Amino acid sequence: MTPVITLVIIAVLILILVLLMRRIQAGSVVALRPLRGYAGLRGQVGRAIESGSQLHITLGRASLIGDASPASISALTVLDHVAKDGCANSTPPLVTLADGTLLTAAQSSMVHGYHQAGRSADYDATATQFIADNTDAFAYSGGVASLIHQEKVTSNVMVGRFGSELGIITEAADRKQIDQVIGSDDPNALALATAVTDNLLIGEELLAAGAYLEQAPQQLASLKLQDILRWVIAAGILVTAVLSFVL
Amino acid sequence: MNAKKGIPIFIAILFGGLTLLGLLFNLPALNNLMLGWAGFIAGFALLLGILNLLYVHSSRTIKKKNFYSAILVLSMLGVFILAVTDNMGLTDNGVQTTFNWVLAPLEAALASLLAFFLLFAGFQMLKRQRTIWSILFILTAILILVSNALVVSTLLPQNINQIIRQVQQVIQNIIVLAGMRGLLLGIALGAILLSIRILIGLERPYNK
Repeated sequence: MTPVITLVIIAVLILILVLLMRRIQAGSVVALRPLRGYAGLRGQVGRAIESGSQLHITLGRASLIGDASPASISALTVLDHVAKDGCANSTPPLVTLADGTLLTAAQSSMVHGYHQAGRSADYDATATQFIADNTDAFAYSGGVASLIHQEKVTSNVMVGRFGSELGIITEAADRKQIDQVIGSDDPNALALATAVTDNLLIGEELLAAGAYLEQAPQQLASLKLQDILRWVIAAGILVTAVLSFVL
Repeated sequence: MNAKKGIPIFIAILFGGLTLLGLLFNLPALNNLMLGWAGFIAGFALLLGILNLLYVHSSRTIKKKNFYSAILVLSMLGVFILAVTDNMGLTDNGVQTTFNWVLAPLEAALASLLAFFLLFAGFQMLKRQRTIWSILFILTAILILVSNALVVSTLLPQNINQIIRQVQQVIQNIIVLAGMRGLLLGIALGAILLSIRILIGLERPYNK
């Protein structure tokens, strides 16, 4: 594909996105398919507030620089939501991560959460913890598992890019009998997560975090466009398959 | 829009656009420049991460008298001193030896435990919900595990071995691969649209 065609496709997508956004701003309703992962997340935030204990959220091993950055950006959206509710109710989440670029973004989410709650003075820098470098999966998972054992947490939210090390963290949470929400874009991690919890955010569901949690017009429009593209791709696959049989 | 919010959006759109153009039109000078800057930022962010780790665990050691945090702080300082002495020529390969003797065996132990954790999680799932899907999940996992062991076995007759291989291939190359491709297509679509939103400034994860 030549660069010009790619640029044209991007321009067309931007145009459709803007048009859909205008329609939503004008009052068009977007029906969102209920997702267990987000329902579970809302329930866990509520339970953490009621019980006055912390919710643990870990943002995975992906950097904001690189191919897995969409998963990390979506994980930050989930953190924004959790931090906003938690900080307003004196139960700020305990945040762990394995990448330096995510650290400053996560700290910024926490600061913003406290600021929105009018409690900027309560910000605790130790609530956001860098565990290990993202190249060291087992050091990261071991560190998070140990933190889950030591701290009084009511639930475990894992969103972002994980690998098979996810099993170590979920095992620690399972031993403590706490609820879990897991969202990832990695097929291996998702296969492991299926065995652990029903509150899953599978691939693109995690990337739709903004639309489900914030419901801003641009995010809803993006989700709508994603559905349109999915149908186009599905139709393309079917037509290609039929043509390959016929021709 | 005030300057505090406007400047980060301008920087994000400018550098997002430049990176896209660099990749599309294959401009190595631009790509290398961007990669160099990104690498510098990532390196600096890692340093911030290490300082955060030291700060968090020093605080926990002092305020909560946490034994594990004290061990972590001491280990960090120990490895740092070893790195300095290695560099000065006072010790030989001290950091690498510490990694080889402490970190590597610990990580290997954790990795080997993973299989047991997974098996345990599978049975927990069966206890939690006995649906057709959970039973199918466990059966497929067991089938793949057992068949992997059986295909290398010389005790089985060749024709049975062949059937096992075919079943394994159908599961892995058709059912699993189809599911994986569907999953990856959805992720790719989501990632493309998220990138477009960032490129045109509709999504601002950096601007709280």
